[in-house]
Amino acid sequence: MNKVRRVLAVLTVRSVPAVLGVLVFSAVPAGAQQQALTPVTDTAAVERGQQLLVNQCGFCHGANARGGSGGPDLTRSTLVQSDENGRQLGEFLAVGRPDKGMPKFDLPRAQVADLAAFLHSSIYQNSNRRLYKILDIVVGDAKAGEAYFNGAGRCATCHSPLKDLKGVGAKYEPATLQGRLLLPRGRERAPGSPAVPLYADPTSVTVSVTPSSGPTVSGGLVRLTDFEVTLYDASTGQMRSWLRNGDSPKLAIVDPLQAHMDQLPRWTDADMHNMTAYLASLK
Amino acid sequence: MIINGRRARTVARCLFAAALAAVPVSLLGQIPTDSWPTYHGDYSGRRFSTIKQINTGNVKALTLAWVYRLNTSRTGAIVGGEGTDTPPPGSPPSIKSTPLMINGVLYFSVPDHVWALDARTGRENWHYAWKTRGGDHIGNRGVGILDNWLYFLTPDNYFISLDVGTGKERWHHEIANMKREYFSTNAPMIIGRQVIIGVGGDALDIPGYLESRDPEAGNLVWRWNTTPRPGEPGATSWPDEESMSHGGGMPWIPGTYDPDLNLYYLGTGNPQPVLSGKSRPGDNLYTCSIVALNPNTGKMVWYYQVTPHDTHDWDAAQTPVLIDGDFDGKPRKMIAQASRNGHFFLLDRITGEHLLTSKHIDSLNWTKGINSTGQPTHDPGKDASVPGTLVSPDTSGATNWPPPSFSPDTGLMYFGTRQTFSVMYLTDTDGRPQGWAAAERNVGSVGNALKAIDYKTGKVKWSRPFAMGPGGSQGGPVGLLSTAGGLLFGGDGGGNFVAYDASSGKPLWHAGLGTNTTNGPQTYLLDGRQYIVVGAGDSLYAFVLQQ
Repeated sequence: MNKVRRVLAVLTVRSVPAVLGVLVFSAVPAGAQQQALTPVTDTAAVERGQQLLVNQCGFCHGANARGGSGGPDLTRSTLVQSDENGRQLGEFLAVGRPDKGMPKFDLPRAQVADLAAFLHSSIYQNSNRRLYKILDIVVGDAKAGEAYFNGAGRCATCHSPLKDLKGVGAKYEPATLQGRLLLPRGRERAPGSPAVPLYADPTSVTVSVTPSSGPTVSGGLVRLTDFEVTLYDASTGQMRSWLRNGDSPKLAIVDPLQAHMDQLPRWTDADMHNMTAYLASLK
Repeated sequence: MIINGRRARTVARCLFAAALAAVPVSLLGQIPTDSWPTYHGDYSGRRFSTIKQINTGNVKALTLAWVYRLNTSRTGAIVGGEGTDTPPPGSPPSIKSTPLMINGVLYFSVPDHVWALDARTGRENWHYAWKTRGGDHIGNRGVGILDNWLYFLTPDNYFISLDVGTGKERWHHEIANMKREYFSTNAPMIIGRQVIIGVGGDALDIPGYLESRDPEAGNLVWRWNTTPRPGEPGATSWPDEESMSHGGGMPWIPGTYDPDLNLYYLGTGNPQPVLSGKSRPGDNLYTCSIVALNPNTGKMVWYYQVTPHDTHDWDAAQTPVLIDGDFDGKPRKMIAQASRNGHFFLLDRITGEHLLTSKHIDSLNWTKGINSTGQPTHDPGKDASVPGTLVSPDTSGATNWPPPSFSPDTGLMYFGTRQTFSVMYLTDTDGRPQGWAAAERNVGSVGNALKAIDYKTGKVKWSRPFAMGPGGSQGGPVGLLSTAGGLLFGGDGGGNFVAYDASSGKPLWHAGLGTNTTNGPQTYLLDGRQYIVVGAGDSLYAFVLQQ
C-alpha cells in the first residue's frame, strides 16, 4: 500500500504544473485542429494565380473559384485538392474535358503552377478556421445599447462609462470587446508581459475556507473537487489546500462575475449587438 | 529447449484462437467477465459489467495495481508506415481508446501507435509505431480484434492489420484522401466477418462514408454513404447534388449492434459546411442521425435525425445505447442517445419509432421547440451571424463522444454534460460558404455536471456538479463504466478518477491522478481479481482491491 501511495504521489507531483492546462475538457477545441494541408508561402505566385483564374477560368468557375455559370467549384474538386504543385492540374488542363464543355488550356508550366498556388491557398484558407477573419461586428444601435446599460441590463449597477469603462471602445477590438461584455474573466495581456494565473486575477472565482479549528482563509479558487479544495492566498503568494470530508471544512464560493453569469442566459443577440456598439463608442 | 520464432508464434496463435473461440458471440449482448473484446466491451454500448467483486461495500479498498506511461519511441518498436523517419511534432498523445482485453493481454492505441500490454502487470508485450504522412492527430478510439488479427486506423487514413501475438504488420490499405482533410479516428467494429470502419474530417466540405472491409485482405465489401446521391431516398433534403455530395456526416465513432435484429446502429456526424447552412437548405439527411444498417449489406433499414439541418457542429456521434426494458408498461427493445445538441432521445430500435425526447441541460437556447416526431426545431435566428450569435451549448456540445453508460440495475443512463456559451461569427458570407464558414469565441459555462437520466421518463434522477476552477465550472463529457457492484466509474473534471454510487451519485472512492481521465474505463476478471483500467492523458492505470 505504501508503495502504491508513493507512486500516486509522484505522479501527482509530476502533473501539478500541467494541471490547469489539462483540466479543461478538450473534445474538439476551436483552433486546436491539426491539418494535413500546409500554407502556400509564395504569396506573389498566389496573386498571379488569382489574376490568371479571374481572367481565364472565372467566367465558368467564378472569380473565387467556387463555381460560376456552368463550371464546378474548383476549391472542392478532388483533382485540385489532390494536386501537387500543379502537376496533376497541368496534365488535366492539357487535355480538358471536352465532352463536359471544359476546353483544354495550353498554359506554360509556370502559369499552371501559379494557378495551383492560388487554388491551394484558397483551399487552405477555407480549411483552417484559425485563420478566419471576424468581419465588421459593430452594427448595433449604440443609443439602444446605452438605454439597455442603464435600464434592463442593470449594467450601471456596477459599471460607469466615466470610470471603469472609460475609453473601453479604444482598448479592445470589437470581438474581444463583445466577449468581455459577456464575461470579462481574466485580463487581456499585453504582448511580452508575464502571464498571471487566473486564480491570482481579481476576476477569479474565490473561496473562503473555514476549518474546524483556526481562522478562515480566503483566496482565488485554484481547484474544488468533492475531495479537496485549493486556493491561492494573495497575502502570502502561496497556495493552500484542505482535504474535504462532507461539510468540513466549511466553504463559501463567490464568483465576482456572478451578475455576468446570471445574465448569460438572458441576453438577446440584439441587446448584445447594441451594447457592443455602445461600448465601442466609448473611445 | 529452443523453439524457433515462427514455431513459437504458430503455437501461440493456435492457443490464442482456441481462447477466442471460447467467447461465445451470443454473449456480446453482455460484456464477458474474463475479457473485454470490443470497444464497448460488448455490442450494446451499455458499458455495464456484471462483475461485482468490487462493489459499493468494499470499493474504499481499491488500490493501484500498475501504471503504464506511453512509450512512443520508435526504438524497439515494430515500425511501419508511408511517412518520414522523423515523427511529427505535437503534444504528447492522450489515451482515448478503450483497451480490449483478450486472453490476459490489453490492446490499445493512440494516433500512430498500438500497444499490447500484459493485463496483470501493465508491462509492454509489443509496440507498433506507424510513420505518419500527417493529418489531424486529435485521437484514436481503439482497435478491433478478430481471431488472431488486430485492426486499426491512422490519422493519415490507413486501415492496418497486425498479428495479435507479435504486433507484426500483415497489410495496410489507404481508405481516404488525406489531402481532402479526411482523418481517421474510429475503432473498427467487427460483426461476423465484417470489419466496419468510418472516416472523419470537417475542414473541407467532404462526404462521409462507412465501410465494411473483409478481415483477410482488407478489401472493400460495402460502402454506405452517409449522405444520399441524386435520386436516392433522402436526396430531397438537400438542394442539389453539389451540397449533398459535399455534405459531411462523418461516422467517426463506433456504433452498437443488436445480434437478434442484425442491425448496426450508428450516430452520424454533422453536415458541412459546418457553421453555415446557407448553401444547404433542408434537413440534410442522414447527417446528425441515428441510423440502423444491415451489417451484411450496408443497407439502411431506418433512421431518426436528432438534429435536422444542424448549423452548430453538433454531430450525433454519441454512442446509441441499447436498452431492454419496460416503456409505458410494455417490454420494448429500445435505443437511447444523450445527444451533443442537449437532448436525450429514446427510440424503438426495431422500427426507429420515436418514444421520448427531453432536454438534458437547461442552458440550451438554439431551438424553437420539439416537433411532433420529437425532433428539436431549428431556429435560424441562432445560426452564426456576422455580428455574432450567442449560442448554448458551444460547438463542442452539451456532451460529446466519451462513452456513456447504462445500468440495467438502476435503469439510469449516465453521461457528462456542459452548459457552455459561445459567440459564433459568420466569416464567410459568400453564397457558397466553405469549411466551417464561421469563427467561434468561447465565453464560459453556467454549470457542468455528471448526470443520471431515467430512460423511462427522460428526467434527471441525479446530477453531480463537476470540479470548479478559477474560471468556474469545468469538466464535461467523460467516459463511464457501470457495474453490477452498484458502482459508476468516471472522472470528475478535477483530475480525479472516481467511483460513484450508481444509484445516488455519491462519491465512494477516488484516485488523484492529477489529470482528467480521457477514455472509457473498462474492467475484467483475471486470476480471480477484478481490474478496473482507465486512461488519463499519457498513462494507463489499473486498480484492484487491496489483498
